[in-house]
Amino acid sequence: MNDNFILKKDHLPGLLRRLMKEYRLVAPVNNQHGDTLFSVIESIDTADLDLCSQPQSSIKPFLFPQQEGLFDYEHSATAYHFEHQPTATPTAFFGVRSCDLSAVLYMDVIFSKKGRDPYYFQKRQEAVLISLACNEPFANCFCNATKTGPFLEYGFDLQFTDLDDRYLVAIGRAKGQEIVNRFRHFFEAAEEKDSKAQYQAFLEARSHFKQQVHVDQAIKRLAGQPLPEEIWADLSLRCQDCGGCAYICPTCTCFTISDQPTSASSGQRLRSWDACTFSGFTRMTGGHNPINSRTHAVKQRFLHKLLYDVQEHGRPSCVGCGRCVGICFGGVDIIRFINMACGQL
Amino acid sequence: MAGLATTFGSGAMTNSINEIEQAQVILVSGSNTTEAHPQVARRMFNAIDRGAKLIVIDPRRTRLAEYAHIHLAINPGTDIPLLNAMMRVILDENLADDLFIEQRTENFHALRDMLYQMDLEETAAITGVPLSAISAAAQMYARAQKAVICYCLGITQHICGTSNVQSIANLAMLAGHIEKEFTGVDPLRGQNNVQGACDMGALPGLFPSYQAVDNQEFREKFERAWNTTLSPTPGLSLMQMTHGGPQGPIRGLVIMGENPMLSDPNLTKVEATLKGLDFLAVSDLFLTETARLADVVFPAASFAEKTGTFTNSERRVQMVRQVVPPLGSCLSDREIVMALSQAMGFCMDYESAAEVMEEIALLSPIYGGMFHDRLDSSWGLQWPCWNRDHAGTPFLHKYFFTRGRGRFMPAEHEAAAELPDAEYPFILNTGRIYHHYHTGTMTRKSPSLNRECSEALLEVNPKDAAGLGLRTADWVELSSRRGAIAVKVQITEQVPPGSVYTTFHFPEAPINLLTNDARDPKAQCPEYKICAVRLQKIEGVVKAPPVKLDKTRKISP
Repeated sequence: MNDNFILKKDHLPGLLRRLMKEYRLVAPVNNQHGDTLFSVIESIDTADLDLCSQPQSSIKPFLFPQQEGLFDYEHSATAYHFEHQPTATPTAFFGVRSCDLSAVLYMDVIFSKKGRDPYYFQKRQEAVLISLACNEPFANCFCNATKTGPFLEYGFDLQFTDLDDRYLVAIGRAKGQEIVNRFRHFFEAAEEKDSKAQYQAFLEARSHFKQQVHVDQAIKRLAGQPLPEEIWADLSLRCQDCGGCAYICPTCTCFTISDQPTSASSGQRLRSWDACTFSGFTRMTGGHNPINSRTHAVKQRFLHKLLYDVQEHGRPSCVGCGRCVGICFGGVDIIRFINMACGQL
Repeated sequence: MAGLATTFGSGAMTNSINEIEQAQVILVSGSNTTEAHPQVARRMFNAIDRGAKLIVIDPRRTRLAEYAHIHLAINPGTDIPLLNAMMRVILDENLADDLFIEQRTENFHALRDMLYQMDLEETAAITGVPLSAISAAAQMYARAQKAVICYCLGITQHICGTSNVQSIANLAMLAGHIEKEFTGVDPLRGQNNVQGACDMGALPGLFPSYQAVDNQEFREKFERAWNTTLSPTPGLSLMQMTHGGPQGPIRGLVIMGENPMLSDPNLTKVEATLKGLDFLAVSDLFLTETARLADVVFPAASFAEKTGTFTNSERRVQMVRQVVPPLGSCLSDREIVMALSQAMGFCMDYESAAEVMEEIALLSPIYGGMFHDRLDSSWGLQWPCWNRDHAGTPFLHKYFFTRGRGRFMPAEHEAAAELPDAEYPFILNTGRIYHHYHTGTMTRKSPSLNRECSEALLEVNPKDAAGLGLRTADWVELSSRRGAIAVKVQITEQVPPGSVYTTFHFPEAPINLLTNDARDPKAQCPEYKICAVRLQKIEGVVKAPPVKLDKTRKISP
């Protein structure tokens, strides 16, 4: 427990102010209209930092933007010319919840599977991840069941735990150590009572989950017999093909490529988020679609999360953030699916 | 609008959207809710999860129809006989709400006499739906304590659209399913602010707040406010303006954010009319098919570039706030109207959208308590909202109908203006899909949405396809008495035999060249949902092949 420090809450703004001098700071901010979003903080004095609500989206858009220019192109009668000048700003992410941080670890794997994706890793290498453990899980959370929270043991650069008047700060990686070293005067060494208080908070948080979601049971069921077709048909008929679940999901990383002309001879190649629930995702050029959207629209999504990724990476790619529960128009979220797969609906 | 105004006194959703969740029975008619109003469909699914029953009336087997407990797949254009048959069943089964009818309505005897004179078997036969299914649906609806009816353009876009709506109102009043929370009649509006446009008097004979122009008291109020004289004669309807012909009644036209060159029926007439104008100005985000015909085009700001309000289906007025400065030389609608008015010699001087809202609150009673500062700090207010202290109105007609008593307006079957015959043997129905909005002015520019759906597809039933020798992705020439287009075929049981269906989103296949501009005499709403067409298979490739890249060009890294 030598790696633990204490930061008094009074001094959090001071620490963030110092961090802002060296990093772009991204943290959950209330936008004055009731929405809490991860936002770039321009001024620590005017931003309404909100560490009590679940941010509407994860930090995925900062590492893997919804739409990203890959390169500019220009062509003449004789040649093509491509221009790509990628840049990434050193960014400190503060207040990242355990589920969202676990999702970044998953993205690290996905974007390095077949060679490292330069667009993602450029931003990832410049990122410092400061997580905030969840003493009080939110309404649709079930990270206890996906083993991605409410507290983390690894993966973060720094992990903050709220202990009323102070934060217990745990160092996870070298970049976190660097920050503590650099701003050592903000931190005190943690005592044993602090570590005990953190453990108590962890134990209590585990009993505060409002959702009972049996992810392990669903994984086992899926690995065995295929599910009855009626389950897929019932869910798919209610799926309205909006892609909201994939867009809001911190681990959905499918994308599509398109060209955006800026003139007759030039333009930009873009990559944009995609979703396996879209019928265009599997439709072939001739118009044939091997997936019947009325009966199987959501099958790939749920099997990818809870079967294929378990087979390939030994863990599910759902991190239990519960965001798809709130966003789905048809009520076709992963909790409903897991309950159906476990025979409880 | 006209249908509910004559029966209830207010042409708007009687409930709030959230109330749908608590209904025990939801009757959906002429609405592909999951694709056109997904936020409303969301409440329907929630209601079903709580045990509600869903009845869908639609000639097509939409997703929602497939999910419904009862799907009444009526012959197109037979809504009135269906609703009359349901009402007769309710009478015969003694399920009518006598107390409600007695205390809150008038003209019931006219309806009752019509229903008793009607032959139930014959009426059911017109609809093509088995009487047993009609009876089951009628009983399910009438027995519920809390039941809502949601309807959309499948009800209104017929020559008998007003009578269709009145029949729906008759059904709700007969069962006593109105004037209560979680219970009512809910027309779903087709656009984000079409309710607001109606509320603000974008109708031929009304000032804001449904104050008639031929009422001297109302007229004088507006004349004082605007310091001008106003005509007591109602203006022209949209169809009279865009279908008047090259020598039509109007000589100059200003069009704001509308693309009639794709969205109006019988486009040949529209084109002739617009080309025959002395002057046409169009204000839009992009150079639409209509804007191409204009003498002047005003570049309009998008929703993210302007501040103001939208009024949605549930009469909720919500703030929209500018988040980015207008691109290029774009102006907000307010600025465009003010500049135009100034140039025409009438000074309009409003410093902000908030000032316009203050005038709305002053002159338009149902918006009387709506000010930007109130709207800014909330999710909006639902009209009627009479003054600053009024909290708004979640559901209408509490204690009494807006017009006093609800009026039964009996209606009998009226055949569509153009039915299939030997020459044009199929019924064409038109509508929308999830991924595109109206004429695609905005949505066709999104690569993701375009990937989902990039071309018009004509839905054809497998039986008809077999008869015509068609296979999926074949091209057909689809023609009516008014025009012809080439369109690709999709074979699906979603449409019944004898009917074909497509959308109007695609300028490449402008289906409104074919549709009929016959219209409802009261509401002036054209019959988009039914016209007679024929299909002729086109052999060979229709579309120009994609441009091939010259492989000999050098590619530098």
